[in-house]
Amino acid sequence: MADVNDINNVVEALKFMVLGMGVVFLFLFVLVKVVELQAKLIAKYFPKNTPKIPATPAGDSADDEQRRVAAIIAAVAEFRKNKS
Amino acid sequence: MKLKQIFTALLFALVALTSSAYAEEHKAVTNPEASSVKKEYHPKSLSELAVSFWETTGIKAIFDTNDGEMSADPAGELKEHKLGAFESSFGRIIMIMIVFLLFYLAIAKGFEPLLLIPIAFGGLLANIPLAHMAGPDGMLGVIYNMGIANEFFPLLIFMGVGAMTDFGPLLANPKTALLGGAAQFGIFGSLVGATALGFDLQDASAISIIGGADGPTSIFIANRLAPDMLGAIAVAAYSYMALVPVIQPPIMRALTTKEERQIKMGIQRPVHRLEKLIFPIIVLMLSIMVLPESTPLIGAFAFGNFAKESGVVDRLSDTMQNSLINIVTIFLGLGVGSKLAADKFLVLESLGIMIIGLIAFAAGTAAGVIMAKIMNKFSKEPINPLIGAAGVSAVPMSARVVSKVGAEERPGNVLLMHAMGPNVAGVIGSAVAAGVLLSIFK
Repeated sequence: MADVNDINNVVEALKFMVLGMGVVFLFLFVLVKVVELQAKLIAKYFPKNTPKIPATPAGDSADDEQRRVAAIIAAVAEFRKNKS
Repeated sequence: MKLKQIFTALLFALVALTSSAYAEEHKAVTNPEASSVKKEYHPKSLSELAVSFWETTGIKAIFDTNDGEMSADPAGELKEHKLGAFESSFGRIIMIMIVFLLFYLAIAKGFEPLLLIPIAFGGLLANIPLAHMAGPDGMLGVIYNMGIANEFFPLLIFMGVGAMTDFGPLLANPKTALLGGAAQFGIFGSLVGATALGFDLQDASAISIIGGADGPTSIFIANRLAPDMLGAIAVAAYSYMALVPVIQPPIMRALTTKEERQIKMGIQRPVHRLEKLIFPIIVLMLSIMVLPESTPLIGAFAFGNFAKESGVVDRLSDTMQNSLINIVTIFLGLGVGSKLAADKFLVLESLGIMIIGLIAFAAGTAAGVIMAKIMNKFSKEPINPLIGAAGVSAVPMSARVVSKVGAEERPGNVLLMHAMGPNVAGVIGSAVAAGVLLSIFK
């Protein structure tokens, strides 16, 4: 009797395995599909607002100022050269 | 006016008097029980006093093997049985040694110290003779009945884990979720193994959930299906989770070729905030439809994750991730530790649980890696088979191990984010597997 029970248990466990792995895979498969669909929908209706490029890039104002000064000096020098 | 006041005062006094009289009467009824607690004392000589003191010492309780002490079970008198000679003496000593071993592993070797220290200390307290700390009125028993017997603490932990989990890597590459499913083979494969070893189906299911590599899920299931084996199952689950860096790499190397291990994976796409926000709701909806039995676990998990991703209740999600989960971890550990009493842990089944747990864990890792190999064959983008090993849900330990092995094979190959996908899918997968097992024994 005990032997019969053991054999049955293993067979039952195999059935559990089929059911369990089936459900787990089905669940995750559906999940994957839904998530992919969701990603598409969101990409379509809520497009990523691309980060705006600031009109005046911050951080190089000092650099700009120097360049402007250099340009003015060069222009003035050129002007004087032409005059003389 | 004055008369009225006096009248009301009188009325109050009368009410107070009668109620106190009633209380007195009530006390009188309960009194006999109270007085029976008070022991009658008669004069004793000094030697008699010394002897009666000796009777209550721990040394005597441990070495006098047949003192008829009762087993302390949080469930109360229903399950109480007289401790055998072994259980009440050497059993306790062996258990205390095991507890010290757990301390050593947690402190010197860094094995999941956050859980092993409270569990082991709970075990130490549970093995104190005469104090009955694991009994229904003892500290450990109270904790056990408060949150483990009714499965409350594992769910709170799951909530905190949800609040800590970032599903971004999974959403960026949803296919990898299937790897988290494959790793659940560890659960069902070892279920077959456990029944072959002679465990009955219900016990085998409780043990094999260790293969899911998920502490709270294991405790949740063990408590439903085999509460007597809870201690051994929890200790096995957390020990093997701690052993992930030791158990997994050899299996990963054995099942893959060097070229496969060196596969580089692309950069993940950025994930929209809305995707992350909706994801926990999707998971919950699916489990409501397919498997309501798993919704306690998944519901708590989804709540934690939703609170985090909503971005407007940072205080709550912060509490779930930190203070709440810490408090619950202390209680959970001590409560589980109460099941480390000698009469419950030192049974042959515990050895079987340890062995099957290890097989379950190894089988889960192997199944994940093999699945990843198959997916790599059929997928357009390359998939490094190593990330399959992260399908067991030991978050984030197994993802880190994958990343480490990958970096060893090819310096600069960072697989961590790719491995996090299957890793968090593994959490969902093992919760679903748990739901399936529960639905079978409904």
